[in-house]
Amino acid sequence: MTTPSDTSGPTRRAFMALSGATAGLAALGMQAWAQNAVEIDPDAIANTDHSTDVLVIGGGMAGLFAAVKAHDAGAATMIVSKGRLGSSGLTPFGKGFFVFDPATESSTIDDFVDTVSRSALGTNNPVYTRQLAEHSRDRAAELRDWGFFDQTLANRPFMQPIEARGIPLLERVTITHLIKENGRIAGAAGFRIDAAETVIIRAKSVILCTGAGGFKPNGFPLGDLTHDGTVMAYRIGAKVTGKEWNDGHMTRADHPAATFDGWGDMFERVPSTNGVEVHHDLGVDLNYRAYVLGNPVAGGPGSLPGGDGAEVAGGPFVPAEFQRNFDGPPPGQDGPLPGQGGAPGGPPPGFSPGANVGGASAGMAIHKSEGLVPFDDRCASNIPGLYAAGDALGSHMAGGIYTQIGSSLAGSAVQGAIAGEAAAEFAVATPAPAITDARLVEITGEILAPLRREAGYGPAWVTQTLQGVIIPNFVLYIKKGSMMQAALAYVEELRDHHAPMLRAANMHELRLAWETRNMILSAEMKLRASMFRTESRCSHYRLDYPEIDDVNWRAWINLHQGADGTMQLSKQPFGTWPDPS
Amino acid sequence: MTIKSITGCIGCEECVKSCPCDVIRMEHGRAVIAYPADCQICHLCRMYCPVDAIEMSPEKSIPVIVPWG
Repeated sequence: MTTPSDTSGPTRRAFMALSGATAGLAALGMQAWAQNAVEIDPDAIANTDHSTDVLVIGGGMAGLFAAVKAHDAGAATMIVSKGRLGSSGLTPFGKGFFVFDPATESSTIDDFVDTVSRSALGTNNPVYTRQLAEHSRDRAAELRDWGFFDQTLANRPFMQPIEARGIPLLERVTITHLIKENGRIAGAAGFRIDAAETVIIRAKSVILCTGAGGFKPNGFPLGDLTHDGTVMAYRIGAKVTGKEWNDGHMTRADHPAATFDGWGDMFERVPSTNGVEVHHDLGVDLNYRAYVLGNPVAGGPGSLPGGDGAEVAGGPFVPAEFQRNFDGPPPGQDGPLPGQGGAPGGPPPGFSPGANVGGASAGMAIHKSEGLVPFDDRCASNIPGLYAAGDALGSHMAGGIYTQIGSSLAGSAVQGAIAGEAAAEFAVATPAPAITDARLVEITGEILAPLRREAGYGPAWVTQTLQGVIIPNFVLYIKKGSMMQAALAYVEELRDHHAPMLRAANMHELRLAWETRNMILSAEMKLRASMFRTESRCSHYRLDYPEIDDVNWRAWINLHQGADGTMQLSKQPFGTWPDPS
Repeated sequence: MTIKSITGCIGCEECVKSCPCDVIRMEHGRAVIAYPADCQICHLCRMYCPVDAIEMSPEKSIPVIVPWG
């Protein structure tokens, strides 16, 4: 294998060092021209080829359990992660883990599912809500054995079961393509960011544990989450759901990009478990207040903006049973104490004290409610052999609003385990897929195309342009048909003209280029789903359709790519499974 | 500057591996801040560093949007 770092010839290295400095300036927005000062030779890029029964894509909570359970069910299993196991995506930052313990809960699992369903206004899938409660205690017990609840940082406890089982792990590999052959999944492809190398992984079954995504907003730790799994799966024919829901996290007005500061000391806390506590929040009401009254706003949902007590007419509907106002801050303080986020009775995790502004998590829906459409209760997609778990699965476990505290981590653990066993079962009964060399050449060419472009658009600039169109609160938070139509015109321009011309000078920028492509398509999904749902419900709020419409909209929205390449939308009634055809 | 400085690096690469956004790279056996514009100020690098070499700032240097990028 030859990589540029192995090359000792001075000429090319010297040239690259010079042009690399130029590319660095361009990435910082200091150069207007779009020439690609490529630092590596795309014709000298190596390739590695792997085979496994079950491929798990993603190294967070869902990926951990998917890999462990697939392995334990007898399938050769491999994990590939864009970052590091337990240190990428949102997993490192969740500290609460919901456990339904019949010994301590005063209510039954039936009561729990009913309460979530009332808060979610029918948007949750009660089968997945029940699974969460039924399996959470067992998953927490396994995590306890691995040391997860004894530390602040998740990498070591996550490595414990992976090393004990000898499960191969590829880290810092960006997967860009799912491969489908003869109507079923056949593997995945991508590239390493630390070397000039593409990676092919042949697999009988693939589990997407690729997490959620956003538009790389400031103030929330999802800069590496760009809906990669959802978009890759969509491109090979998977159905996608839940794109109209919105997570409504705020960030501090003083240092909006300071994610760590905004969460108080929560990121440094040792994880812990919690019992039943069902809410109906995560900020859509607060974002409405911010839209009407202007920023900043204070504290968590329901707290008063600036303490002036101004009443705001209209806004998102909150069921009476779940309305709550947080107690005012102690004298001399602007809000809850740092680190109180997520504490019982307090604001949800991530809502910090003091003056806040909205849009911190722009582009992300409610956990577990956007992603692949589940075709059964075992995390299967409509593509044979392709599964998804956690935030990559649109299970609607919580519904279109944040309901059970601590269910994000727990839901990923529970679904990862279920998907792992289902995928292993599929894989052991399935012959190894065949992928033609021609197809691999085609995919590799697509992966590396941004490195070969002599000119084009920098991914940082295209991302910023997309952010400017899609993040403002009058587009996807407080929605109107006319404004979404206008935004869609911009997004279509980026999709059709700029995405095919994205350039990259090195493997870091190649990752940014692919992330940018994925965000553009996710933006289109979010706009089209939000325009389609002509009502307001849970975290989807439209100024032009402010009421709940139970006659027409007791339904989820599914998206798929039509035969002509355009995005198609359809309804799936709440409480039903999709038509297998 | 987001991640502000790395002083006293011992070359263990923990920060490089733990950064979700590929901000830090190794150069001559030491960690360097290679792509500060992509830092999300989550502090994972600081928390994983075994020798407290990393200093953080709450400020982000947001690049200016330029035409025809």
